[in-house]
Amino acid sequence: MSSEANENWALSAPGIHGEHVPMRDLSREEVDFCIVGAGAGGGVLGAKLAEAGFSVVILDAGPHWSPVKDFVSDEMASRKLFWTDERITGGEDPVELGSNNSGRGVGGSTVHYSMVAMRAHTEDFRRRTLDGEIAGADVRDWPLSFEDLEPYYEEVEEALSIAGPTFYPWGKRRKRYPQREHELNASAQVLVRGCTQLGIPVAPAPIATLSAPHKDRPPCVYRGFCNYGCTTNAKSSILVTYIPRAVRAGAEVRANSMVAQISTNERGRVTGVLHFRKGSRDLFRQRAKNVIVAGYAIETPRLLLNSASSLFPDGLANSSGLVGKCFMVHSGHQVFAKFNGRINQYKAPPPGGALTEHFNRTMPGAGFICGYTIEVVGPHPMDFAARIASARGLWGTRLRRTMLDYNYYSGVGIVGEILPQRRNTVKLHDTERDQYGLPIPHVVFSYHENDRRIIKHAIARMREILEAAEGEDIWLADRTAHLLGTCRMGSDPSDSVVNADCRTHDVPNLYVCDGSVFPTSTAVNPSLTIQAIAARTAERLIKESFPHRN
Amino acid sequence: MEEQEFRTRYPNYNVLDKWSSADWDDQTRAVVRERLEDVPPIRFFTEAEARTLAAVAERIIPQPDRNGTEKVPIVPWIDEKLYEDRRNGYRYEELPPQREAWRLGLKGIDETAQALFDGKLFADLDSFSQDVVLTHVERGNAPGATWEQIPAARFFKSVLSITIVKIYYAHPSAWNEIGYNGPSSPRGHVRKWEGGVDPWEAQEK
Repeated sequence: MSSEANENWALSAPGIHGEHVPMRDLSREEVDFCIVGAGAGGGVLGAKLAEAGFSVVILDAGPHWSPVKDFVSDEMASRKLFWTDERITGGEDPVELGSNNSGRGVGGSTVHYSMVAMRAHTEDFRRRTLDGEIAGADVRDWPLSFEDLEPYYEEVEEALSIAGPTFYPWGKRRKRYPQREHELNASAQVLVRGCTQLGIPVAPAPIATLSAPHKDRPPCVYRGFCNYGCTTNAKSSILVTYIPRAVRAGAEVRANSMVAQISTNERGRVTGVLHFRKGSRDLFRQRAKNVIVAGYAIETPRLLLNSASSLFPDGLANSSGLVGKCFMVHSGHQVFAKFNGRINQYKAPPPGGALTEHFNRTMPGAGFICGYTIEVVGPHPMDFAARIASARGLWGTRLRRTMLDYNYYSGVGIVGEILPQRRNTVKLHDTERDQYGLPIPHVVFSYHENDRRIIKHAIARMREILEAAEGEDIWLADRTAHLLGTCRMGSDPSDSVVNADCRTHDVPNLYVCDGSVFPTSTAVNPSLTIQAIAARTAERLIKESFPHRN
Repeated sequence: MEEQEFRTRYPNYNVLDKWSSADWDDQTRAVVRERLEDVPPIRFFTEAEARTLAAVAERIIPQPDRNGTEKVPIVPWIDEKLYEDRRNGYRYEELPPQREAWRLGLKGIDETAQALFDGKLFADLDSFSQDVVLTHVERGNAPGATWEQIPAARFFKSVLSITIVKIYYAHPSAWNEIGYNGPSSPRGHVRKWEGGVDPWEAQEK
């Protein structure tokens, strides 16, 4: 603990209403925790650790946005929210990066995420035990159980004021969501109608967006620009929830700071990080007693690999050789259909969305393990046009004519489980360097046969649902979402990178806490699980330092 | 006539009529104003490359219904992206960095045009022949030595067409023809249900 903590509140950070709030300057201190990445993992950790009295610096490569001033109602101009630095993508099924699955700036990808706030299920933590070994895959049980995470799911659901249905039909029985569900939108009505025709249970989606006022934030007005940043603060991103808490509790949130390397000493402990600041090619040092890496499943392994030294020749915390291995996404295939009535999909999801977890389970006789969730989607025209052009090979007069019916299309998409495979990796590129001179990431991804069977099954079900809802002109778009794996958690140091508390097996004062630690992907949106793991990790760290505190 | 094929459901709708309404905030007005008024000069492409690309863009998104000044500009925005070298966040293994990819791709398109149509450049072909050239590129069976250096089908799908399409549908003229509500801050929406149309959304004739 830094009892002599610098009481210099000389800095300021953008507040969520366009104001500026005082912030500490901790740049000259050896802080208790330096957190790399201010997203779902780093934001929750930063707030909780600072509130417990630790000195905390959170670094993020991108800007600290002011939601009411910096976010715009425009698809093209919102590209600034994504991580657009070059990454090479390959494998049999190269993953498109740089948009939905990336974030740059304080709040990380929660600034533009779809806010679907789902818990993983009891079975998700025990896939190896329940489903056995699958050839070509590297399925593992988690070192955590659902029960271990359950109180933290509840904690983050409360903190984000999740708006959800009174009765949620899947998973372990739960208490009511903090806020009532959003009124269903047109795309959700389509999904509900189709599912009901087929006897498939369906429910309003639990969403991290306010349906009623909460503290200094108003309820959603359904602008429909959730994926481009919320200008009204109804959206419970990390930027407007945990980050203000962290700053108020004395953490420094240092934006525009790209971490190049984690420093280590001769005893194999980390001592802080070296980072660039905007507009400068000089490296700044931030000293820290502990470092937590929370840069998501590409930048996290990249940083560990870029931090190789004579003591750690294969990269930091990589004695298992698993840093960067078992990279996963979710299959995110989408099916669209045209309807007789106007949908106006731009004002549709995510708030007021619906979903079904009916197929999120291992179904006997289906020919694959695990499953998928079906949710509604509502792309704006730039995104929709790119998707329809790519999916149907449309261009020219045919594309422009098809787009005239944009307002009559409605879509559904999946979050499909992906099995971990060692051949799917994030590694450093042999020759290419970024604007800082750092090796860029090289991402390699190929589907497993099980993944392909899930996708095939899901596409058939989505088609049936849209047909049952009386949709016509049905078409399919390939897509993926989320970045997971690459630093998986486990009990065996030779078979995992971190333990159940997110502490690296190799370096006792180095932690990884983001989507990288997932041993398996689950078939639900990962943000709530990442946040629950971060809340639990914070709690464990606090307990360790203050065993008698309640 | 080709013009007839783009008949919109929303002939009286102009998203810019809402410029001063509760649907547009200052920051959105600023980015859309730039898109409408500050079309950048050509600084990256050579004159010949820009000419080829303009002809390609007119086939990917034909705008025969608009005269020169009414057309949604495409080439200047691609040029600016490349001049500033703003990346996309990913690049397929088989593609070179974007500046090189665009130069090679445009060269390849002209080579294919010349191979298929008596040595004529792409921009000098009639629109039917241009579509034949682009279809060869799209299918990855386009003649031309440059296509040994850059895979034609990947270039067409992941670089060329997607970039042009996105630029077009980011423009208010495109929003008008498809009845897109466009900016919506701070007002948002009330009638979210199927068939529901707020008074400030595009009305059909």
